[in-house]
Amino acid sequence: MTIVLKKMNSIDESVENNLTQWEIGPYHSSLPAPIKLSLLMDGEVVSHCSLETGFLHRGLEKVFELHSWRSSIAYVDHLDPEAAVFGELALCLGVEEIAGLAVPSRAQHIRIILAELTRVSSHLIYMVRMARVVGSETIIHYLLRDRERILDLFELLAGARFSLNFLRFGGVCADVTEGFIERVLEVCEVIRIRLKEYNDLFTFNHGFLKRTAFVAPLTSSLIRECGVTGPNARASGFSFDVRKDSPYTGYDQVDFDVPLGRGEGGSLGDVHDRFLIRLREISQSMEILKQLSETVPSGEYINSEVEKGYAIPSGEAYVRVESSRGLLGCHVVSDGSSQPARIQFRTPTVAHLMVIPKLVTGIRIEDLPVLLASLDLGIAEADR
Amino acid sequence: MNLESFWVVSWVNSIGFLSGLPEWCYAAISLLCIFFFVLIPSLVFIVFFDRKLSADLQARVGPNRAGPAGVLQPIADLLKLLQKDTRSPWGWIESLWISIHSMVLYSSLAVIPLGSLALLLDTEMSAFLPFWSALVLALGTILLGLSQGTVAGWFGGIRVAAQALSGAFPALISLLCTGVRAGGFRWTVLAGSQGFAPWSWTVASNPFQAIAFLVFVMSGLVLLGIAPLEGGQSMSDIHGGVATHLSGRRLVLFRFGRFYGFFCWSVISVVLFLGAWNLPLQFRELLVRAELYPLIGFFELVCLLMKTFCLMMVIVWIARVNPRSRVDQITDFTWKVLSPFSLSALVGAGIWAGWRAFL
Repeated sequence: MTIVLKKMNSIDESVENNLTQWEIGPYHSSLPAPIKLSLLMDGEVVSHCSLETGFLHRGLEKVFELHSWRSSIAYVDHLDPEAAVFGELALCLGVEEIAGLAVPSRAQHIRIILAELTRVSSHLIYMVRMARVVGSETIIHYLLRDRERILDLFELLAGARFSLNFLRFGGVCADVTEGFIERVLEVCEVIRIRLKEYNDLFTFNHGFLKRTAFVAPLTSSLIRECGVTGPNARASGFSFDVRKDSPYTGYDQVDFDVPLGRGEGGSLGDVHDRFLIRLREISQSMEILKQLSETVPSGEYINSEVEKGYAIPSGEAYVRVESSRGLLGCHVVSDGSSQPARIQFRTPTVAHLMVIPKLVTGIRIEDLPVLLASLDLGIAEADR
Repeated sequence: MNLESFWVVSWVNSIGFLSGLPEWCYAAISLLCIFFFVLIPSLVFIVFFDRKLSADLQARVGPNRAGPAGVLQPIADLLKLLQKDTRSPWGWIESLWISIHSMVLYSSLAVIPLGSLALLLDTEMSAFLPFWSALVLALGTILLGLSQGTVAGWFGGIRVAAQALSGAFPALISLLCTGVRAGGFRWTVLAGSQGFAPWSWTVASNPFQAIAFLVFVMSGLVLLGIAPLEGGQSMSDIHGGVATHLSGRRLVLFRFGRFYGFFCWSVISVVLFLGAWNLPLQFRELLVRAELYPLIGFFELVCLLMKTFCLMMVIVWIARVNPRSRVDQITDFTWKVLSPFSLSALVGAGIWAGWRAFL
C-alpha cells in the first residue's frame, strides 16, 4: 500500500484510492514556521506526507563571507532569532580555536549565564507554541510574562532584547552591569516557583495529556537515522548532551543533570515526553544559573590581546555547542584575511525536519499541529 | 401565543391609532422588543465580562480604552466589523446559510423562556422547541463549512455534524429528567416546580437531577460547539474550519449565531435546573399587593438573566484555563460517558419520582 501511495501524484489517482489530498503551507495556523506539507489522507488519518522547506532562506552563510569577522557576530544572531546567543557562542568558540585565544574565566561565566538564560527563554517560547496548538490561552500569557523577565535581563546586559550581539572573540562585549547577578538569582527563584504553577495548570492537565500522550513517539532508530539531537532525542531516552559529553566554555565546572524522558504520560518519547523534558531542562538551567551566579570570578571580561584590527590567523576549526534545540555545529575557515573564508553551521532543526514525514504518517490530522509544535522547529536556522 | 398577557399588547394599544392590529403584528413587535432590549444588551454585557474575566485570569489588562473601564469595547467592535465590506458577493449557499441562521434566531426567540414578562409561547412541547433550533443552527454551520470548497471547510463541516449529533442525544435524555420531576414540559410548569431558594431547585432535588444538570450543560456545549468543547469549530489544523473565510458583517452574523446558541442554552439550563425566574415569595407578594405587575415581570427577567450570566461566566472560566479537546475525543466523551450517565439519570429520576408518589 505504501508503495502505491508514494507513486501517486495526480488527483485522479487519489480519487481512485479514496484519499484526500491536502497541501498545507507555507503559511497556515497549524504550522509553527513556514514549511509546506503535501498530505494524502485516508479519512482523517495521514497516509503519506512530503515536506518542502526553504521559504526562509536568506543566504546567511554567504553573508558571512562578504563582511568582516567582527560583523559576522551581528549576522549570526539571525541564525536563530529565538536563541541568538548559541550561534554567537559557536562562532566565537570556533574563531578562538583557530586563533588560540584564551577566554578569561569571568567572560566564560557570563557566557554560560547568557546561554542558559537563552535556553530558558527558548523553552518558554516552545511551551507557548505547544499551549497555542492545544488551545490553552491562559498559560500562554503566563509563559510570555515570565519570558519578559528574561528579556529584561538581556536588555539590562546588552541593551537589546533579541539580537544581543554581545559575545566577542576572546570574551564578551562588556562587563555585567551592577545588580545583574542579583536579578538573575531573583528571576531564577521566580521561575522555579512558576514551574510548579505551570505543572498544576497545564502539564498534568487531563485535557493536555489526552492531546499529547501516545502521540507520535520518536523511536531510537529514527533518531539515529536522521541525526536528531537535543531535548527531542533525550525525551526518547537518548542520553546525549554536548555540555556533558564534550564540555566547552567551562561547563565541566558546573554540576548539573541531563534529564531523560521516562514516558510517564504515555509512551517513551511521545509529545508529552518532549514537553516534559523542556520543563526539566528549565529547572536544570536554573540550577546552573544559581551555581554560576554565586561564583562569578573577578577579572577581565575580554582577552586583552583582542583590540581593534585584530587579525584572525588562517586555519580551520569545527566546534559543537548544545543549543536549546540540539547540537549546533560550526565550521569556521579562515584564510588570514579580514573576512571569513567560510562559516558553515550544522543546525539541529534540519534533523527534526527530516523526521516529520515519517512521524506524520499514520497520525490523525488533528494531531498534526501538536506534533509539529512538539518538535521545536527553528526554521530560521534550517533555511538560513 | 399568549399575547394577551404580554405587556407589549397593552402598550401598543395605548397608542390610539395602532389599536386593533392583527395578531402577527403584535408577535413581530414582541420579537423585535426581545431582540433589541434583551438579546443585544445581553450580548454586549457578556462579551465585555468575558473579555475582562479572561484578561484577569491571564494576567493582562483587557479592554480599557473605549468608555470607562472599556465598557463600550463590544459596541466599538461591533461597529467596526459592521462597516467592513465583504470580500466577495453573497453566493446562493451563503444566502441559504444566512436565511437558516435568521430563521433560527427569530423562531426560537418566541419560545425561549424569559420570565412572565416575555414568555410568548407556552405549550406542552415548549421545552423541546429550542432543540430544533439548536440542530438547525448546527445544520447552518455544517453548510457554511461545506460551501467553502476547501479541505479545511469540509473537515470542519463534517466535524460539526458529528459533534452536534453526539451532543443532541444526552441533552434530550437529560431534558426528560426535569419533565419527570415537574410533570410536564411547559415552561410555567417547569418553573413552578421550583422556588427561589437553591434547595428548592431541580438540580438540588436529588442526585440524579444533579447528574442530569451536568450532562445537560456539557452536551449543550458539544451540540452548539462552545468552548472548551468546540473542537469541531476551531481546531488549529483546519484553521478555524467552518468560519475561516468569514470577515466583517458575515463574521458578526456567525459570532452572533453562536453567542445566541450559548445564551439560549444557558437560559434553558437555568429554567430547567437552577430555579428558573422565581422570586422570593414575600417579595413577590409585596409587589402583587402593590399591584406592580410589570415590575414583577421585570424582576423575574433580571433574576433569570443574573443566573444565566453567572452560568455563562463559569463556563467561560473553565474554557479559559483548559486546553481544547480533540473532536473525536469529544464525541467519544458524549457517546461513552454523557449518554450512559443521562440514561441512568433518567431511570434514577423516574424511580425517585415514583417512590415520592407512593409516600
